[in-house]
Amino acid sequence: MTVWREAVGTPAARVEGPAKVTGRAGYTYDRPVTDPAYAFPVQATIARGRVASIDSAAAAGVEGVLAVVTHRDAARLADTGDAELAVLQSDEVGFRGQFVGVVVAETPQAARYAAGLVRVEYEQRPHDTELRADRPGLYAPEQVNGGFVSDTDEGDVDAAMEAAAVTVDRAYTTPMEFNSPMEPHVSVAVWDPGERAPGGGFAEGARLTLFDSTQGPHVVRSTLAQVFGLPPERVRVISPYVGGGFGSKGMPHAHNVLAALAAWAVPGRPVKLALTRQQMFALAGHRTPTIQRVRLGAGADGRLTAVAHEVVEHTSAIKEFAEQTAVGARMMYAAPNRRTSHRLAALDVPVPSWMRAPGEAPGFFALEVAMDELAQACGLDPIELRARNDPEVDPESGRPWSGRHLVRCLREGAARFGWAERTAPGTRLVGRELVGLGVAASTYPYYRLPGSRAVVEYEGGGRYTVRIGAADIGTGAWTALTQIAADALGCRLRAVRVEIGDSDLPAATVAGGSSGTTSWGSAVVAACRAFRHVYGEQPPAGAEAGADMPDDPDAERFAMHSFGAQFAEVRVDADTGEVRVPRMLGVFSVGRVVNPRTARSQFIGGMTMGLSMALHERGVLDHRTGHVINHDLAEYHIATHADVVDVDAVWLDEEDVHAGPLGARGIGEIGIVGAAAAIANAVHNATGVRVRDLPITPDVLLR
Amino acid sequence: MDFLRPATWEDALAMKAARPDATPIQGGTDVMVEINLDKGRPTALLDLNPVAELSRWSWTAGPAPMLRVGAGVTYTRLIAELGGWLPGLAQASRTVGSPQIRNRGTLVGNLGAASPAGDGHPPLLASGALVEAESVRGTRLIPIGEFYMGVKRNALEGDELIRAVHVPPAAGPQCFAKVGTRNAMVIAVCSFAVALDLRARRAGTGIGSAAPTPRRAHAAEEFLAGELDWDGAGPVDPALARRFGELVAEAAAPIDDVRGRADYRRHALAVMARRALGWAWAEREV
Repeated sequence: MTVWREAVGTPAARVEGPAKVTGRAGYTYDRPVTDPAYAFPVQATIARGRVASIDSAAAAGVEGVLAVVTHRDAARLADTGDAELAVLQSDEVGFRGQFVGVVVAETPQAARYAAGLVRVEYEQRPHDTELRADRPGLYAPEQVNGGFVSDTDEGDVDAAMEAAAVTVDRAYTTPMEFNSPMEPHVSVAVWDPGERAPGGGFAEGARLTLFDSTQGPHVVRSTLAQVFGLPPERVRVISPYVGGGFGSKGMPHAHNVLAALAAWAVPGRPVKLALTRQQMFALAGHRTPTIQRVRLGAGADGRLTAVAHEVVEHTSAIKEFAEQTAVGARMMYAAPNRRTSHRLAALDVPVPSWMRAPGEAPGFFALEVAMDELAQACGLDPIELRARNDPEVDPESGRPWSGRHLVRCLREGAARFGWAERTAPGTRLVGRELVGLGVAASTYPYYRLPGSRAVVEYEGGGRYTVRIGAADIGTGAWTALTQIAADALGCRLRAVRVEIGDSDLPAATVAGGSSGTTSWGSAVVAACRAFRHVYGEQPPAGAEAGADMPDDPDAERFAMHSFGAQFAEVRVDADTGEVRVPRMLGVFSVGRVVNPRTARSQFIGGMTMGLSMALHERGVLDHRTGHVINHDLAEYHIATHADVVDVDAVWLDEEDVHAGPLGARGIGEIGIVGAAAAIANAVHNATGVRVRDLPITPDVLLR
Repeated sequence: MDFLRPATWEDALAMKAARPDATPIQGGTDVMVEINLDKGRPTALLDLNPVAELSRWSWTAGPAPMLRVGAGVTYTRLIAELGGWLPGLAQASRTVGSPQIRNRGTLVGNLGAASPAGDGHPPLLASGALVEAESVRGTRLIPIGEFYMGVKRNALEGDELIRAVHVPPAAGPQCFAKVGTRNAMVIAVCSFAVALDLRARRAGTGIGSAAPTPRRAHAAEEFLAGELDWDGAGPVDPALARRFGELVAEAAAPIDDVRGRADYRRHALAVMARRALGWAWAEREV
């Protein structure tokens, strides 16, 4: 174990904060490049079919237009089997909004104007975008996101349900949701063409530099290198500052490829591409809508005998992404009979992808509302119900927990939140407002991803530089890694400078799965120890040492998950059904907290996103056109400041001794898990109306 | 798309006469949204922002002076400078967008756009405002109730521009209420305004987002004029308030859409009308 000296655990201010608030932090689109040109995409206006003809003459004639690129003349990419990234390689259209061309011009205005003049004619084929649980063609994916099996079945759920004294058997739905980070998806592509190959392909010596807004510079580099058929060392991805991602920037999307194709078409010119807010709704990933059936069987004492969580969700016909919605139900509660399954409909929709806590976020809305229904049916306090079903060991793997403190979180939260004041459903009227309290449990797995490396260099004068190609998407990674390195080296915080956000830096895994700080931090600790091992306390200037992230043997021996308790108070207007959330509290058990300031921000940010999921967010797909009609922030509602009153998060003071050298389990996603269920449960407590479909809107409370 | 930029009101009228197809743009909070959403591209934009005289307000002459609010007066200024005389309008203005949008957006710009969901329309209807339309041919005053012709359609002729809107200063308490699916930055699911005229003993009403156009609830107004105990002390009789709400809801012709169901809109209108009347009446006592 590292002996933490003084930096880890303190609320150090963000090291990049002054640069950000003074505008010196260069975000991707503002990156100065020499003589840039600007790209604007042409998007398909049908949901399925093929491009029959393209007339780009009018666009090409616009003053300042440098190139109009379509599938007819785009450079040929390697076939990686990833249809999302096979941009402009064929005339096929797989979803509305897919790229069918791009205009490159001297100004963004000219590019956008000209893109509007490109005339595309289509041979339309029937499309299908509607998810229903009873539709034909549902299939079980080989595995779901995260590498989990699609289905599990232990014991006999049906028999247990039959025999159970108390049962819940309900369907829950969540809508299509969109990550919507503040900074849109942006790429600036710069080619050093080398010898241009005949036929417009990418030459042997070509080099691509991509300034990108991404959660993983190395991930983008390795993927794009394959797509362009280049060795990885000839692709460089630079991304020091990122204005949010929530998973949508966790892997390259089509716009990265489009920017590079556009730049290839105008030799010698860097090309800037920024998706508009509206384009993001088709091109930046989204969370699938879900239809979830949850069955719970219990004795009269509330002890579970059966848990079944069966999910129907969509993926894109052109590329599979299977949200692992039911996976959390495999480990959450003790029950001898357990079944989970995922069924996908491959639809003519944009490609779904990661959105904060994929799997757990929608899955725990259903599971935790169902638990509230069970508590009601058993006449038990919801906290007591969860305590009675808290498993000694992981029900799925049989392994011991590295630290499961869910019940402590629930009890701690109950005391802080005033849970004892909760009354029977629909009985607490203050003025014309119905007041209710709700609770839900939360969890998120511990992921430490292999593949990161850190290097430490002594600059002389008491100063060290730590290099790792990681990403800070607003999480606080710059700061947390600085703190970790300072303690691991045994020096002051200000003696350490961290460099991240560049694929020329040592390899680093994605800022995803709440794994960044644990994965990169472990590599940083290892590198600092290697450095001290070689050079001791008096290194010469220029001394350098590095290390890979060490293996994590405990991850094989223990079930490692973070836990949390989400509490919400709601006030529902008795006459109009308007819902307000005056208070939320999260109590989390996440191992060691490296930086309380940035951690709190992560927790309450996740909870706020959960509030938004509960009350506001809903993508409306028009099945006639395959179009998300509310594809802007005026109509796709996200919670505003006025909707968020008092959101607070606290955590248990602990470390997880099995969770690597940091004793930390990761915190980025657990804040959203269970938050929407806590609000839905509070709405039930306030009104007596059980809402099983998100978002909760005023009209359903008056039915 | 041509971009026309008159420096004076005279130029603006001349340009509009020459180009009746031109879409006037004032603050841009409706027009630019429509353009950005690709809901059609105007053949020409007539930018009224440089016309300085439009950003002034004044009092009209005559025995019953009204506030003449120029087409360029922003919501922010309307709230700060005219809120004392036009409390219902100011209350509605505070619910428009965000501070940035209120700094840019204008009441009259949104009036011209005539969206059924515009927040400014119900208080203008409740106050009995007049729209000052002008062209090279002359000026006319259009009663607000005759201004809205259909979804996003108004009563202006092709060569006319709105110079100002004339609003009577409040002759009693006024109230605006709105239901949205979040607390700010929201298009109304439905909205309602009431303006009491204590001297004339009548009430004006305005319904938003619950019919193809903003509209008054005539029957509800007549009911209040006849049945409200204008001299009475204490709160409004609950039965009367409920009946008023029902009459308001009956005047609406809502649809089901992404923001809400028609039956919810009718219900919420009845609630808002009942409450707005109660709040306005209570203010009278203060």
